[in-house]
Amino acid sequence: MKGPLIETLARHGVTRRTFVKYCATLASMMALPPAAGRAMAEAMAAAPAASKRPSVIWLPFQECTGCTESITRSHSPTLEGLIFDVISLDYQETLMAAAGHQAEEALHAAMAANDGKYLLIVDGSIPLGLDGAYSCIAGKSNLETLKEVAKGAAAIVAMGSCAAYGGLPKANPNPTGAVSVADIIKDKPIINIPGCPPIPAVITGVLAHYLTFGSLPELDKHSRPKAFYGETIHDRCYRRPFYDQGKFAKTFDDEGARKGWCLFELGCKGPVTYNACATVKWNGGVSWPVESGHGCLGCSEPDFWDAGGFYKALSMPADPLKLAAKAAVVGAAAGVAVSFVNRGKKSAAKSAHEKTTLADLEK
Amino acid sequence: MPLDAIPVVIAPSGLRAGELSGNAPPLLREIAEMVRRLLASGETSAIDLQALPLTPADLEWLREQLGEGEIAVTLNADGESSLDETACPGVWWITHHNPMGAVVSAFIEVAFVPEVVKAHPEDVVIGLEHLELLISDLS
Repeated sequence: MKGPLIETLARHGVTRRTFVKYCATLASMMALPPAAGRAMAEAMAAAPAASKRPSVIWLPFQECTGCTESITRSHSPTLEGLIFDVISLDYQETLMAAAGHQAEEALHAAMAANDGKYLLIVDGSIPLGLDGAYSCIAGKSNLETLKEVAKGAAAIVAMGSCAAYGGLPKANPNPTGAVSVADIIKDKPIINIPGCPPIPAVITGVLAHYLTFGSLPELDKHSRPKAFYGETIHDRCYRRPFYDQGKFAKTFDDEGARKGWCLFELGCKGPVTYNACATVKWNGGVSWPVESGHGCLGCSEPDFWDAGGFYKALSMPADPLKLAAKAAVVGAAAGVAVSFVNRGKKSAAKSAHEKTTLADLEK
Repeated sequence: MPLDAIPVVIAPSGLRAGELSGNAPPLLREIAEMVRRLLASGETSAIDLQALPLTPADLEWLREQLGEGEIAVTLNADGESSLDETACPGVWWITHHNPMGAVVSAFIEVAFVPEVVKAHPEDVVIGLEHLELLISDLS
């Protein structure tokens, strides 16, 4: 195991064993078999990263900067941070020192110097209403900027649910006419890293893959890397055994909730949500939504904001094992089948003066 | 406001997720198969413990079943890692922590010696250069 990257890391005081440990953990996060960790360590160490750092341009559109917050809060200094040192982040409005004309100059200099080779990261959706007047940078609409910068990109990473699907700006009634990157750019490879925000390790994992193999990882039907979005939250959830045993929390303060039972009936979207929260977790692996007692909102799925209510239970499947196959349909018609059940529960609860769940209240 | 006005009762410790899911016992068979492969062909293998739906109680049960061996290795690299041999030689319980002490990954590795413990030849070369430097300083 030798190469420019391992030498760069060694200069930062990172030993080979640290790197092997990091790759083992990264492979675990990416749901790869344990043996893949070693293969990754060898491939990444040998990647020609240090000598010519790949140029990365990061464009912010209609966004809240949450995605940038996510990646910069990845408990630095870490190996993720060091891997960031081996790319050249040439334009990132929030992080760069330059502003105004200097920033725009940096952008155009990077575009000219790396034409056809730079990686473009986009966060935020693109408004089409009023000829794009809802969001402009340097006197240009986001639509114009995206088209101009995308032209010379080797590939585009749509970071966060807004860039990947339109996200919150696109939520009904979509006042700005927001669309995703893929709605506009049709002639470049696009990789979606949805999430609101995406997990920092997923962002760096995709970049690591790009550095390692010089290509983008395998993608699913929503153009998400299968490594991180290959399985549902539900399938990887530590509360899954309770689901299988039929043990559900019925309210947020009942015995089941305190015992950490499954949050399915409280509206958890885990069964139809493909993301890595259950394994990678948040805040440096401290916890994640389900572990802190709240169901998954499904933020890495298209139009999660309009999917029918965070506290409405998904349609109860007859056979739990077939849930994944039904996922798309369930997602679209979330809660339709249970609406009758919930309605019944609501009136029953009223008459019996029992506790009413949030899901009952929403129906 | 007195505390008992809040209608939330603290659960007795150990109750939350403290139940056996029944997912741990089959792992013993898988580990046995991995050990057989190690003996037959020298092939090493590992189980990613975070990739399986195991409760903390399951992990505790499994750890107890496998028992404690004679060797415990501590690796200090970007946080502490423990590589503990179980009572079954060749079966190692590996836990990687980050610098803040949180568990970042955990594996059961079946090998004569876990891969990461062995010194890499490149590092040995650097060590040798250092030794030679020390020797040259002697004269």
